[in-house]
Amino acid sequence: MTTAAHLEEWTGENVSLAQIENALAELRRESCEDTEGPDLRTSVMTHIAWVPPEWHKAAWATLEGMAERHPSRAIVLVPGGADDHDDLDARVQVAAFSLPGERRHVAAEIVELLLGGRRARSPGSIVMPLLISGLPVFCRWRGSLPFGEQELEELTGIADRLVIDSREWDDPAADYPRLAELFDRVAVSDITWRRTLPWRVALAHEWPEVGRCTELAVEGPPADAHLLAGWLRSRLNRDVRLAGEAADEVESVAVDGRELPRPPADPVSSSELLSAELETFGRDRVYEAAVTAARRERL
Amino acid sequence: MATTQENPLLEGLPLAQTPEPCVLVIFGASGDLTKRKIFPALYALALRRLLPQQFAILGAARSEWSDDEFRHNMEAAVREFGRDEFRDDVWERLAEATHYRALEFSDDAGEDELTRFVEQMDSERGTAGNRVYYLAVPPDAMPTLVGELGERHTTEGWTRLIVEKPFGRDQSSARALNERIWQHFAEDEVYRIDHYLGKETVQNMAALRFANGIFEPIWNRQFIDHVQITVAESIGLEGRAGYYEQAGAIRDIVQNHMLQLVALTAMEPPSDFTADSVRNEKVKVLRSIHTPGPKHVVRGQYGRGYVEGIEVPAYREEPGVDPNSMTETYVAAKLFVDNWRWADTPFYVRTGKRLPRRETTITIQFKRAPHPPFAEAAAEELRPNLLTIHVQPDEGVSLAIGAKVPGLGVKLRTVHMDFVYGGAFQVEMPEAYERLLLDAMRGEATLFTRADEVDEQWAIIDAILAAWKRDRPAFPNYAAGTWGPPSADELLHRDGRSWRHH
Repeated sequence: MTTAAHLEEWTGENVSLAQIENALAELRRESCEDTEGPDLRTSVMTHIAWVPPEWHKAAWATLEGMAERHPSRAIVLVPGGADDHDDLDARVQVAAFSLPGERRHVAAEIVELLLGGRRARSPGSIVMPLLISGLPVFCRWRGSLPFGEQELEELTGIADRLVIDSREWDDPAADYPRLAELFDRVAVSDITWRRTLPWRVALAHEWPEVGRCTELAVEGPPADAHLLAGWLRSRLNRDVRLAGEAADEVESVAVDGRELPRPPADPVSSSELLSAELETFGRDRVYEAAVTAARRERL
Repeated sequence: MATTQENPLLEGLPLAQTPEPCVLVIFGASGDLTKRKIFPALYALALRRLLPQQFAILGAARSEWSDDEFRHNMEAAVREFGRDEFRDDVWERLAEATHYRALEFSDDAGEDELTRFVEQMDSERGTAGNRVYYLAVPPDAMPTLVGELGERHTTEGWTRLIVEKPFGRDQSSARALNERIWQHFAEDEVYRIDHYLGKETVQNMAALRFANGIFEPIWNRQFIDHVQITVAESIGLEGRAGYYEQAGAIRDIVQNHMLQLVALTAMEPPSDFTADSVRNEKVKVLRSIHTPGPKHVVRGQYGRGYVEGIEVPAYREEPGVDPNSMTETYVAAKLFVDNWRWADTPFYVRTGKRLPRRETTITIQFKRAPHPPFAEAAAEELRPNLLTIHVQPDEGVSLAIGAKVPGLGVKLRTVHMDFVYGGAFQVEMPEAYERLLLDAMRGEATLFTRADEVDEQWAIIDAILAAWKRDRPAFPNYAAGTWGPPSADELLHRDGRSWRHH
């Protein structure tokens, strides 16, 4: 992770969106006061993050590793202010990162909004004025998806891509069918799906034997196991039983009782995983089919 | 590995893009190119798992090295010239697949032994008879080596021949080399490298032109005043006197990189991005380039001067250079592409060594607005719109536009809208050789030059060289650290233009 060359910050309580926009403009001006030439605003997207308080620390750690990779405006929405106040508290940052061979810096903007009361249930109207026009909008949703709730409906209506991590869900197998209902409305990326890539490659190398498999045994997180099984079912167009046991990481994968060699896997940070998903546009039909074919099975 | 059609699990997996199993044989493996470019590129590909699992590298050169010495030397090269952090586990995987054989290219017995060794790789590593021969050898060794390889060309698996520049030293020798190659190999087995085509920003030229609806409608003589292409180096010979004395700037840069940049800038939109479609369009441009007359070409050679504050010797004082050398280190030319799109639109090109800075740019200068409704004084600082593609360094695109200076009056200034690659895409750009090696292994020839392109390029260069034989310029005619001889400036001043502001 690169440390910002300089970072300007503004905070305010119960603010208006106009104040936030003014703060961004002022911080951008301050940010380039001591540099040679203006900072570059070469944004590639607006990145919304829905971050319930219990995910706050993890989300910021990911964001800090992201800013220099994807120069963007990140809008961090933290629901959970006081229920009886519709306050909007804000923390606005402009971080400038050095570019190799450039005297100027590239600026990343982070707007954190603490949504109080009713504001937490209707974030769409808060976010829309802050979007960078003409650029794609990614929405990273931390934790479980509140299917059918207004906040999810509004943000999936705005975002071009919804980025989730189904490992963060309590019962992924139960939620996959509801996730599948979103596919026609918004493109979905799942960081867990990205994590399974080395094992999918390893399974593909088992062709053609794997084409006849009847059981997949996975020692690993349930989300990973269900996605791998759903993927095999959908790609092979046949029933594949899922067995195994839960673990924090995927420790082993076996096809019809035969354990696969462990694939070489680079340890990647949460920032790198998210970063990879933010480079993906359009629908991932293979993932969608895997989710649709995932089903509730005891591990 | 089976194909996607056979193996449904491959759909969407990145491994679908990895090459088929093969052996890469590098001829000239003890040379500078292998050390500085090829092995660092192979390491970068290995790090990103873009090499096939069944893969072997065989280095071949005259130096009497063992396998371990070669691996040791290449490890040092990767550590010194690689763009990635050195990882032992990645290097060990690559080193384990790496071998070396000392060889005289004309020695039948040595070539036979090399062939046996490569066949042994097929059985040991499952490389399936697939071969990539990388010919990083001097031009005089090329015909012999091609003949030796051709005699041992089998029908098992596929064979690809990567041929490093220079491809001949004139049209006649290039044609002879092509004939030699075609005796044994089909044209679609030949991958002539021009590493400029592997650069991201050069490829971005196609994206800029053909993926943005705003540019192509104005990319023609109606809206463009002229085009300037600069390939400037601040370095001198860097120990390459033997080659450069024979080549000069015109063969080193103009014949290949420069004319390719002209072709990419001027070509018509291809119907698709397959190798033949793109190369068909480029060769049409090369065929349309009007042979420049003597007054439209300037050559120069640097004398002593200062580069980055350090006094540097004249070209003729460089080690290995003839003290009376007439080799040109600078070329500027005014080219015309005689077709419907570009008629009467000059392409000014220039390249040189020991210029003030390293820079490769393509600049499109648009015609001025026909009738700006501002007072003359208001617009006196306003320059024409320029679209500049920065190929290196600071890769990106900038557009110079006129804007009003804030205030009560009307005063216009030129400002730049910049797209800096490193600003928008915070990923390190791959080295050209990574892309080109991978493409050759995958059989993707779009970024390699075809025989007819090389032939047309030499036709232009031969005409210039023929005119040069008739006079003997007073060299040196520009000081190191300057932008070339005064006659290069006059080339544009005569047309009421000037080289882009430096």
